[in-house]
Amino acid sequence: MGRKEDLLKKELETYKKHKDELVKESEGKYVLIKGSEIINIFKSEEDAIKMGISKFGNDPFLVKKIERIEHIHNFTSNLIGCDSKCHH
Amino acid sequence: MPSLTHAEPKLKELGPIVEVHFLIPLALEKKYKEEGKEIPKPVIVKAMIDTGASCCAIQKDIPKKLKLNPVGSHKIHTPSCKDHECYKYFIRMAIPLHQLVYEGVFTAVPLEAQGIDCLIGRDLLSNGILIYIGYANQFTFSLF
Repeated sequence: MGRKEDLLKKELETYKKHKDELVKESEGKYVLIKGSEIINIFKSEEDAIKMGISKFGNDPFLVKKIERIEHIHNFTSNLIGCDSKCHH
Repeated sequence: MPSLTHAEPKLKELGPIVEVHFLIPLALEKKYKEEGKEIPKPVIVKAMIDTGASCCAIQKDIPKKLKLNPVGSHKIHTPSCKDHECYKYFIRMAIPLHQLVYEGVFTAVPLEAQGIDCLIGRDLLSNGILIYIGYANQFTFSLF
């Protein structure tokens, strides 16, 4: 994270900055962030994304599940290579 | 409930593979139409149904072809790496011949060779049914 090409750098910094209060008030829900602004909190990820599209169209925005310890997604397939970066 | 049943003599070797179309999400398509913007053409690829994937993954070139920006990022674990940060995209996936449509989050990853550009994971399967009949070289996939 934090690379120059990172399209969500500012949004992830905003999440990090407000994480403690978000976890305290809304753990398990989804936050929609654009730049340094927290737009709203949603019960479902899809609702948060649809609001993001409605407000920002195809501009990058961050929808993130509010959780104290981040859930990590698992893949058992060896079709996924990790030599190159996922962020491009 | 829309469904497809596919017979593949080499099912054991190849796995359950379907041809899917990726499109921009409906809400964005509506917005583009209102603004008179060109709508990117569907990207057609082969996808493998993978119960070992906790979420859906796509070859990272697909969002580029659809000119989509990310809606988030999260960490993944694979057999060869841990805590790899990847962008996630909100995309529509369709199998037009069978009226199967799913709109949801796909994680962009470097899928390497073998002609598979998408892994259909358990997040999508949680909305449907997968029946794998090995002795008949056949599988059925349905979505609510």
